[in-house]
Amino acid sequence: ESEEKEILRRDSSVRNYSPQAYKFYMEQHVENLIKNYTQRQTRKLQLEKELAKTSLSADAQLQMRRMLQQKESNYIRMKRSKMNKDMFERITVLG
Amino acid sequence: MSFLFGNRNNKTFKPKKNIPEGTHQYDLMQHAAVTLGSGNLRLAVMLPEGEDQNEWVAVNTVDFFNQINMLYGTITEFCTEETCPVMSAGPKYEYHWADGQAVKKPIKCSAPKYIDYLMSWVQDQLDDEQLFPSKIGVPFPRNFLSIAKTILKRLFRVYAHIYHQHFKEVMQLSEEAHLNTSFKHFIYFVQEFDLIERRELAPLQELIDKLTSKDR
Ligand SMILES: [Zn+2]
Repeated sequence: ESEEKEILRRDSSVRNYSPQAYKFYMEQHVENLIKNYTQRQTRKLQLEKELAKTSLSADAQLQMRRMLQQKESNYIRMKRSKMNKDMFERITVLG
Repeated sequence: MSFLFGNRNNKTFKPKKNIPEGTHQYDLMQHAAVTLGSGNLRLAVMLPEGEDQNEWVAVNTVDFFNQINMLYGTITEFCTEETCPVMSAGPKYEYHWADGQAVKKPIKCSAPKYIDYLMSWVQDQLDDEQLFPSKIGVPFPRNFLSIAKTILKRLFRVYAHIYHQHFKEVMQLSEEAHLNTSFKHFIYFVQEFDLIERRELAPLQELIDKLTSKDR
């Protein structure tokens, strides 16, 4: 019971935001969602194009694909932890 | 640990029967089509090839939390103890707060209090390294998906409250397109991975049908 009340007494975590800030954020965000999607597709296609030019074994090609997928996966994890710490922090674009 | 996040206790969700819809439903449906012009969000929510589903659900969950946090932050002055003495989504649905851990017995409270508990609870989950590992290579817990489902189910209630009780203010602030886009993205995402039960979505089902009918 007292533990419950303790939790409920905690300071408010809800902050005020200006509608302008929210709207700007959402507009940028939707643009970025689509951009992230197409760029990830592009990187995949680019790798496939590169692989087609080489004479790597099927195994080695699979390794290359896995490397890219791992890099993409690490990137969204980094992005998540940054977003969680400070949603307004600029996020570096994956090269 | 998953029992802590399970759905055994339904007492936090109180559907009421036989209450007519308010006229605000009309506004809501009228403006449902207004969204930010953009490419296909349905493609953007799909799991990229070779991606770990937990990783994908995690980054999107944090994203929705941020969007909802900001959105609610724009209307806090309209959502007060006086205007919203109970946490509701229209006349048919009322929510009582319990997190299943620290607060087991559902508490009836005002919407601002409820949303504050809710957002603080979500932030605590997102900050928990055991649940949302931030270091490269650290795996997600086995029950990650059920935790994410609980978070998303609760975040949905903030959208539901805003749509039902504050859509007029949202329109006054000219942010209905932003809200619709945010919610549409959210719904596409939970539909893609089947993350929220249909009965939980009931308070906004009509809107969901309208928002998602166009580009199926
Ligand atoms: Zn309210």
